[in-house]
Amino acid sequence: MAFLEIDRLVKRYGATDILKGISLSVEEGGFLVLVGPSGCGKSTLLSMIAGLDSISEGEVRIAGKRMNELHPSQRDIAMVFQSYALYPNMSVAENIAFGLEMRKVPKAERDKAVAEVAEILQMGHLLKRKPSQLSGGQRQRVAMGRALVRNPQVFLFDEPLSNLDAKLRVDMRTEIKRLHQRMKTTIVYVTHDQIEAMTLATQIAVLRDGVLQQFGTPAEVYNNPANVFVADFMGSPSMNLIPAAVRAENGKTVVALQREGEGDLVLDPGQAGEKLSAVLGKTVLFGIRPEAITDHDGADRNARTLVDAECQVEVVEPAGSDTFVVAHLGGKHVIARMRSDVPVRAGHRAPFTFNMDKAVFFDPQTEQRVA
Amino acid sequence: MSAATVGARPAGSRVLNRIVIYGLLLVFALVYLIPFFVMLVTSLKTMPEIQNGNMLALPKDPTIQPWIKAWGEACVGLTCEGIHGYFWNSIKMVVPAVAISTLLGALNGYVLTKWRFKGHKLVFGLMLFACFIPFQSVLLPMATVLGQFGQLGKVFTNAFGMNLGFGNSTVNLVFVHVVYGLGFTTLFFRNYYEAFPTELVKAAMVDGAGFFQIFRRVLLPNSLPIIVVTVIYQFTNIWNDFLFASSYAGSGDVMPMTVALNNVVNTSTGVVEYNVNMAAAMIAALPTLLVYILAGRYFVRGLMAGAVKG
Ligand SMILES: Nc1ncnc2c1ncn2[C@@H]1O[C@H](COP(=O)(O)OP(=O)(O)OP(=O)(O)O)[C@@H](O)[C@H]1O
Ligand SMILES: [Mg+2]
Repeated sequence: MAFLEIDRLVKRYGATDILKGISLSVEEGGFLVLVGPSGCGKSTLLSMIAGLDSISEGEVRIAGKRMNELHPSQRDIAMVFQSYALYPNMSVAENIAFGLEMRKVPKAERDKAVAEVAEILQMGHLLKRKPSQLSGGQRQRVAMGRALVRNPQVFLFDEPLSNLDAKLRVDMRTEIKRLHQRMKTTIVYVTHDQIEAMTLATQIAVLRDGVLQQFGTPAEVYNNPANVFVADFMGSPSMNLIPAAVRAENGKTVVALQREGEGDLVLDPGQAGEKLSAVLGKTVLFGIRPEAITDHDGADRNARTLVDAECQVEVVEPAGSDTFVVAHLGGKHVIARMRSDVPVRAGHRAPFTFNMDKAVFFDPQTEQRVA
Repeated sequence: MSAATVGARPAGSRVLNRIVIYGLLLVFALVYLIPFFVMLVTSLKTMPEIQNGNMLALPKDPTIQPWIKAWGEACVGLTCEGIHGYFWNSIKMVVPAVAISTLLGALNGYVLTKWRFKGHKLVFGLMLFACFIPFQSVLLPMATVLGQFGQLGKVFTNAFGMNLGFGNSTVNLVFVHVVYGLGFTTLFFRNYYEAFPTELVKAAMVDGAGFFQIFRRVLLPNSLPIIVVTVIYQFTNIWNDFLFASSYAGSGDVMPMTVALNNVVNTSTGVVEYNVNMAAAMIAALPTLLVYILAGRYFVRGLMAGAVKG
């Protein structure tokens, strides 16, 4: 039995279902990230775990115990809010100690706990300040300190980094990861940033319009997206999704991509061929991540099916460590990720290598995975 | 208009604008300050000087005798013990009335914004309605209610030997002012708390604070501007109230300051002692003046905040 279980959870406002039966579970010490576009119900789900929003249907269990009827303070959770929600009238130390004070922990113990947390987060020098005298990153730390000090069973984070600038966000992300490895407390973390989700999570739940799209490890969600939405949402630049015809050639199942002014580009789908043979003669969406289309020497040497092909290059975008090369295939712009020093030029033909081990295929109508 | 044309405007017209603006401000300031000035200088003059001299002239030989007389000896109706007793009557009425109405207003605002219930809009609408009811229309019903309180007081006196405050004029006035002020104080606090971040309340809930702990530890400490606004508003209104005071405590030694002042001025034995009357009026106005001076800055700031955030 998992530590935190979310069982067919429904949230209803009037006649509209905001969450439509979400089931998830996390092991003790896991790091669950809820990710999805704005308005998909991530915060609502988190609030329901916290007890700040009522549960319309379903059940939330922590360590096997039903939480539905318990007040937030009785659930043994701590929450970090997007706006940090620091009490403006209290000093940093008082902010951190407030939860302990409400739980009638004696003063001496509180002071000790605050000092420990300040040590962990390296903010001993800030304890006497008021929140208004802190920078954004420091406020973020205090908000985390306030959660840490209670040593709860589950931490809940609602987009804790979204108010920070890009550099600080990366630093704090690392810090959260470090804290999690040290504390080993179960965390549920909401974000709409898929990079945050990939780097932090042990489990990712992708939500869309209150429906769970996929639930799995970061690698599963990234490499084996369940549908077009997940494939497109995770990863940056996002996955190439190219219309392709499934044909039989010389007794083998192949996929063919249209090219402008020349014949189709025919690719061997590798181990996906078997499943694709079921949709022979139909059109599929061929999904392949930019890093699976490379220059010849940059290809993964352990890949089983590598296909070389010449394509017309439209745009070359050097990005420092890599160069993104854009080609036109199947009526779509297709991004390839090549080494920084490849000699390709816009307007010329260049050799591309497709790692077909990484290819995925979707039904264009249902947008579900076919192979 | 472009920046260039603004810059090109002749400097002379700008100076003229200033003169007109400050001139007008000066005129209005004088209009408001002259009566005050006359009161002040008159209260520091002797009677012969007043009878012979110019109203606007400064006192030749300033004396605080009229103030002492107003405080300790002036006649209110038939008793000649000064106004100090009535001054304290007013204080005893205004302090609890302001404190209670402000606190209840804050509590109402807290519930109406952070603990919403079905029909909270209707409740707030009805409370707002209280702001528009004219004083006069509640005089008779309120008199009936206070009469019932008096009856209850008699019952308690028979039972326990004391009336527990029921039927006491000061308590009655406190009750009236709290009831009448609640609409306004609720309006002030509701608008202020509407803009108060709800995440703070949620954080406190997760931290384990209860309904009143959140109110006392999180909301109230962050409400200083609106508390100041409410206190000033309520204090001036209640202190200056004449209608309720004269209706429910209009005679004897229970009168509040405003009624007593009226009686001092109306006492028609011998010559009219203008200096004493002025001193009494000044004493009556002093507390509100003091409240404005001490908290006026917050008053303007708080009103502005309320205006912007709605
Ligand atoms: N009180 C409410 N009444 C009706 N609908 C609501 C209420 N609160 C939230 N919603 C709706 O629920 C949906 C989910 O909201 P939620 O705040 O959980 O989104 P989110 O995934 O956290 O989005 P974001 O990334 O923008 O924070 C939204 O479409 C929102 O309009
Ligand atoms: Mg949200």
